[in-house]
Amino acid sequence: MAGSALVTQTMSAPAIRVEGFIKRYGKRVAADGLALTVQRGEIYGLVGADGAGKSSLMKAVAGVLAHDGGTVEVFGTVIDSERAAEKVKQRIGFLPQGLGLNLYPDLSIEENVDFFGRLRGVPGAELAERKNMLLGMTRLDAFRSRPMRQLSGGMKQKLGLVCTLIHEPELVILDEPTTGVDPVSRRDFWAILGKLLEEKGITALVSTAYLDEADRFHRVSLFHEGKVMGEGTPAELIARVPGTLALFRAEPQADALPRLKAQFPQTEAMGAWLRVFAEGLAPEQALTAVEASLGTHSPPVGSNSFDHNRRSADRGRINSLPRQADTASLPLVGSNSFDLGWESTDSGRVNSTPRQADTLPPQGCLTQRTIRLSDWFAREPELEDVFVAMLRQRGARLDTSLPADAPAAAPTSTLAIEASGLTRVFGDFRAADAVSFAVPQGEIFGLLGANGAGKTTVIKMLTGILKPSSGAGRVAGADMRSAGLAIKERIGYMSQAFSLYHDLSVVENIRLYAGIYGLDDRRARQRSDWVIGMAGLAGFENDAAGRLPMGLRQRLALGCALVHEPRVLFLDEPTSGVDPIGRRMFWDILFHLSRREGVAILVTTHYMSEAEHCDHLALMFAGRVVADASPEAMKQELITSAGQLLELRVDRPVPAQNALRDAGFANVALHGRAVHLLSRDADTDRERLPALLDKAGIAVQSVGLRPLSMEDVFVQRISALEEAGRRPA
Amino acid sequence: MNLQRIVALAWKEWREIIRDRLFFALAFVVPAMLMLLFGFGLTLDVENLPFAVVDYDKTAASRDYAYRFISSRYFAFQGYAADEHDVDALLADNKVRMVLVIPPRFDERLGRGEPAPVQVLIDGTFPERTQTSMGYVAAINSAVSLDNMAHALSRVRGIPLPEARQRVQPVKLEVRYLYNQSVKSIWSLAPKLIMLIMMLSPPFLTAVGVVREKESGSIFNIYSSTVSPGEFLLGKLAPYVAISIANAMFLWLLATWLFGAPFKGDPLFFAFATVLYVICTTGIGLVISMLVQTQVAAMIVASIVSIIPAVLYSGVLLPLPSLSPAASMLAHALPPMYYTNIVVGCFLKAVSWHALWLEVLVLAAYAVGLFGLGYLLFTKRPKS
Repeated sequence: MAGSALVTQTMSAPAIRVEGFIKRYGKRVAADGLALTVQRGEIYGLVGADGAGKSSLMKAVAGVLAHDGGTVEVFGTVIDSERAAEKVKQRIGFLPQGLGLNLYPDLSIEENVDFFGRLRGVPGAELAERKNMLLGMTRLDAFRSRPMRQLSGGMKQKLGLVCTLIHEPELVILDEPTTGVDPVSRRDFWAILGKLLEEKGITALVSTAYLDEADRFHRVSLFHEGKVMGEGTPAELIARVPGTLALFRAEPQADALPRLKAQFPQTEAMGAWLRVFAEGLAPEQALTAVEASLGTHSPPVGSNSFDHNRRSADRGRINSLPRQADTASLPLVGSNSFDLGWESTDSGRVNSTPRQADTLPPQGCLTQRTIRLSDWFAREPELEDVFVAMLRQRGARLDTSLPADAPAAAPTSTLAIEASGLTRVFGDFRAADAVSFAVPQGEIFGLLGANGAGKTTVIKMLTGILKPSSGAGRVAGADMRSAGLAIKERIGYMSQAFSLYHDLSVVENIRLYAGIYGLDDRRARQRSDWVIGMAGLAGFENDAAGRLPMGLRQRLALGCALVHEPRVLFLDEPTSGVDPIGRRMFWDILFHLSRREGVAILVTTHYMSEAEHCDHLALMFAGRVVADASPEAMKQELITSAGQLLELRVDRPVPAQNALRDAGFANVALHGRAVHLLSRDADTDRERLPALLDKAGIAVQSVGLRPLSMEDVFVQRISALEEAGRRPA
Repeated sequence: MNLQRIVALAWKEWREIIRDRLFFALAFVVPAMLMLLFGFGLTLDVENLPFAVVDYDKTAASRDYAYRFISSRYFAFQGYAADEHDVDALLADNKVRMVLVIPPRFDERLGRGEPAPVQVLIDGTFPERTQTSMGYVAAINSAVSLDNMAHALSRVRGIPLPEARQRVQPVKLEVRYLYNQSVKSIWSLAPKLIMLIMMLSPPFLTAVGVVREKESGSIFNIYSSTVSPGEFLLGKLAPYVAISIANAMFLWLLATWLFGAPFKGDPLFFAFATVLYVICTTGIGLVISMLVQTQVAAMIVASIVSIIPAVLYSGVLLPLPSLSPAASMLAHALPPMYYTNIVVGCFLKAVSWHALWLEVLVLAAYAVGLFGLGYLLFTKRPKS
């Protein structure tokens, strides 16, 4: 029959093939010539910021959006009309963007699933069977009759997945399924998805705004402003921009940063550390180049300035660099306090032994402009570094016009923000429960927690919007309960929604805020110029705020919160949806504010990678602060309590995960073709695990240590707490 | 057409309407409430108009004249005022709407057969009411004059009073009020309210019900599935049509039982025409929902598109023949007028198919046209 030829043809076709995809909304071009191919059985990721064109492409592939140009082919069928789209829709499951927004809030979990099943024509018996299987797997079966509106973010996300999978599609299209969900639920989600896709042989097209999620995919496309910046496996993409990622300390940090930035545009301050991506440089070259730009190279012997080769030998603070040519990677060295798995992942073996090292002695500046370098670590870059480098190659600029030589703020011990036993009760719900922490002037303090953990409640109490049920919040030395207008003038607040007036121009927005804070005309003009310079808004002064790109709009909102030169700044999820360049510039500004102008900054974020920019973190869970330390200290504690992070690249990740679980590892997570686990005895485990998996018929391609991320810390902590909560007291 | 899918859609929609408090109220409480508020509030009868009398004459004749007004059910006597200056404040405060000023020598002039002027001050802020009350004043006044003339004639000619009455008014009006014997405005208003409310409620419910799926993103469940547009529209709209039919029945009960409007027509014919009308107005909501993207826009457009034709071009407030030619054309182009004819016919005139087949046909054409347009506008692969 003619049909059989068609069937064989469509059987061999890739799941998705897109070429020259163009989508316009009015004048705005959302997608400009996108191309990608997704093979069957792949988990394919679209990674990019809001407005990068991910959703438009996914909707077009799902056949629910007409595009303006190019070819979209799904299972060999060209999607160019509603009729053509109908042909493949039964084989597709589509989860649109927005957590639980496509579900029906008044229906229960079971009713939602039933509706999707019937809509898709799943026969009754099969529907019941699949529903039981999927609800069991997602651990939702205990809540079958609970209305969807009462579910937590993580549960909504899982229900969305169940409803998308109920008709057993061959291709699932999931648009930002993990945005806004806490890391624990996110990890859970990836585990369930990975398992289901593997078992059923489903192909998946998944988008995410988190670059650190890219390694969950087999292959990814990096999206930026409607274009694909690169396509390939995460490793291939990283290899595309060779270079070295270095993490080190340099004192004084505020002086080191501008010097490094002049040579390495991708330099960031991460708390007390500096993070530099030295593009095109091998590790030892990177060190030489960093030293050169810091002015710490070839110092006169015996001088007080830094000489790593000599001093490290006797002081042990910086370890000597072996100059062997046989290894491309830098033998990584470091103090015990920061042996977090930094190594070159391509070598597959530990090529450095952590040495006993002194902790950094508290030393003052030796001379005014001398910068001392210490605790050097180098490894291959992460995808975000590579992405930013790609964008820079295409002309994106990272510099802000902040005065680089402004004097550093004098270190002070004054507390800018002080929460002591802050509690807020709504009915019988404790939104915040005895929350205590302190933020000194000039510190960036991160408040981390899932949606509903109580972060916003705490910010509201500290800014005086909400009265605490008990406890007190002091900001800039005044109790927020009794503080009047005077104190509010010392506070800057930027909300998640970027409280700007979209129909007003940039200047009008700034002037409006200046007016609200009672600045006189001369100062308003001065501050307006400052904001425009700081935010890189020159040339956009008269554009309506609503028409600015996300990154600019975000910096304008920050500028408006800073127009009255507050000493304390509250930022509620300030970087949601902004691209990596915008996020970097934003953090640069925050760093400048804290270090040069001594502003205390309290920030909440759901980007776990961003938490590392903070000097100090407080982790909130169910209204309580459950951890309060610097990012390094948190990681160190995780290593002590749960072990180091091992990455195994294997041929069959899902069986490998099961085998490792059976072997007694509690924290085994799938990351694309790799498996991550926490090991208390990393050296022994990396020797024995390949053999162990080999017995189960799984080939291990490589085993290596990975640096821990804040997400690992977060997941570990919360899981332990949830575990404790489940156990009967 | 797959029945399972249609049932799944309708069942889901029904449960959502029942469980969402706002929607529940919109669907089941608001129509009845509108009926009560309009039925009790919107009466077009002018009765009990407050008035005062300034009597400078203070004779039996002047009191007699004033008494004709005082005893009328159209006027509510508020008292005598000493002079005209006192009544200014009363008029300004809306304490009285009309003042009768009887000048000195009223009785004397009447006796001499001279013209006896009486001044009437009427509040003109509400023209409709002013016209009506002026009519009452003129009617009472001419009745008084005729009566006086008949009395005089009877005295002068020595003929009996009834004969004298007949002589002064040789042409006598014999009025029979048809269909609404006691000329109660609620009798005609209550049926028209069914028209009005069934023009407001279904488009509003339907437009918001469909658009909220667009706004939340759950419409993508429909777009991305293999449900056909026809199945979707049937399943989605069936609950709204059913609820509106139930509402129409309830309003009919209110009109007949609570407001006492007579229902003289054929119930089956009325039920058929009403279902058609409800489908028609649901179709208006459907078309609106295809054209707007947000619930707020849906509400605004639905209110404008339904209230204006229902109030102005349906014959509920103004009789259609008195509309300007342009307005009349507009009225003929919109469905409410046709259903107004049907409700009035069914309630008051006891007419059926033979008189109203054209109206039914027009409504049917509307229903088909609106649903056809909605079907054409619905696309599972939109541009944005």
